[in-house]
Amino acid sequence: MDTEQTQALQAAVRPERGLLLIVDDDEINCAILENLFAPYYDTDTAENGRAGLDRVLERQDDLCAILLDVMMPEMDGIQVLRCLKEYGLLEKIPVFLITAEASGEVMKEAYALGVMDVIGKPIIPYMVLRRVQSVVELFQARERLSNVVELQQADLLAQAKQIIELNKGMIEALAAAIEFRSEESGDHVRRIHDITTYLLTHTPLGDGLSPIEIKQIALGSIMHDVGKIAVPDAILNKPGKLTPEEFEVMKSHTVQGARLLEQIPQLRENGAYPYAWDIARHHHERWDGRGYPDGLKGDEISLAAQIVSLADVYDALSCKRVYKDAFPREKVLEMIRSGDCGSFNPRLLECFFQVEGELAKLYQHPCKED
Amino acid sequence: MDQAKLDSLARGGIQAADALERFMGSDALLERFLKRFLEDATYSSLCQAVEAGDWQQALAASHTLKGMCGNLSMTELYDLFTRQVALLREDKPADAAALMPAIEAAYRRAADAIGQL
Repeated sequence: MDTEQTQALQAAVRPERGLLLIVDDDEINCAILENLFAPYYDTDTAENGRAGLDRVLERQDDLCAILLDVMMPEMDGIQVLRCLKEYGLLEKIPVFLITAEASGEVMKEAYALGVMDVIGKPIIPYMVLRRVQSVVELFQARERLSNVVELQQADLLAQAKQIIELNKGMIEALAAAIEFRSEESGDHVRRIHDITTYLLTHTPLGDGLSPIEIKQIALGSIMHDVGKIAVPDAILNKPGKLTPEEFEVMKSHTVQGARLLEQIPQLRENGAYPYAWDIARHHHERWDGRGYPDGLKGDEISLAAQIVSLADVYDALSCKRVYKDAFPREKVLEMIRSGDCGSFNPRLLECFFQVEGELAKLYQHPCKED
Repeated sequence: MDQAKLDSLARGGIQAADALERFMGSDALLERFLKRFLEDATYSSLCQAVEAGDWQQALAASHTLKGMCGNLSMTELYDLFTRQVALLREDKPADAAALMPAIEAAYRRAADAIGQL
């Protein structure tokens, strides 16, 4: 929360003097009540019901209480009460009926409408003062409390947001650190995140998924290669073709990644964990069952893992890697379509090609290598 | 307010000590409103309304006077106006009108006492 907001909220929390409105056609009564309450509140008077109602609507945010006479010209006190109730103001501002005619009917209707108290005329000063002050304090305390709660809620929300940001930052940092080892920039994980999100939000692939689930899958996609931390530099950064033994080690980054994630208790409690684990382990599975590590086939591979594996391939082909140059876009698309990088779910490919024009914009500048 | 003033007002049916409490001890405010009471047109409006048999107008005037007298602790007049308002509400205009001589007498006494301030 910035300083300005904090100050505004603190101002709202501070108890206020408040405005007390006296609505009475009896000049003496107005004077008595003003004189009585002036040390404690700002006061204002209105000489009939209509004028009183206008004043209330004008100053409703400043009012702390209304003292209302019953028998008045233009509009009587009960009519004023009815209007205030209609405007929903009786819950916000306590209204006291000050009347000499406390007849049964009038009192009954006044209380039914939501008046706080009925005070008899001629008034007894110390009693009126105490009865009004108690209620005003109650209303102000309630208002203050709700402001404090609001303030605390805003604080908590800001903190929660910060923690979420920090989490994502830490996860990105971890993933990027691993990428740096393989002499890539951190942009790869960010693009995988963006491609995954885009496919889930702009194609039918995301149908049936809530925005939260999509966020969790995207977060999980960032961690797809964390297992590479267990792969030695000599293999990870080998420019030439890997030997079969080396390739086996390289392939283990899927199982190692899932195992690594299992070791983080805080992550296990996070909604993104099942997706992250699944994506780390299965983002090299292929539709025809010829992927690794588990040789899953077709729909045995989760949609999340399928999307990330395609995004991973697409990104690897589009950028220069230690073992290859960047391919031109036409070549990338042809290699994916022909199955050079393994087979993919036809429905996934269909959705992918539908929006690939947008995805290609991620690569308008040559992929950064530094 | 000194005792002589209080006694003089008491003879006019005005419980000034009581009223002062209502004005938070302000002599000036009380005296100002007592004098204002004499200048107020409501009393003559009541007399005219009763004479003319305009009972709605009479009720409004009597009610206003009741309120003023109550606040100024003019107890004699207050009691009379209270009875008159009640009678008018009960639709007994003749009985309400019959109170006028007593009201007039009390009003005179109060006016005299205030005039001596």
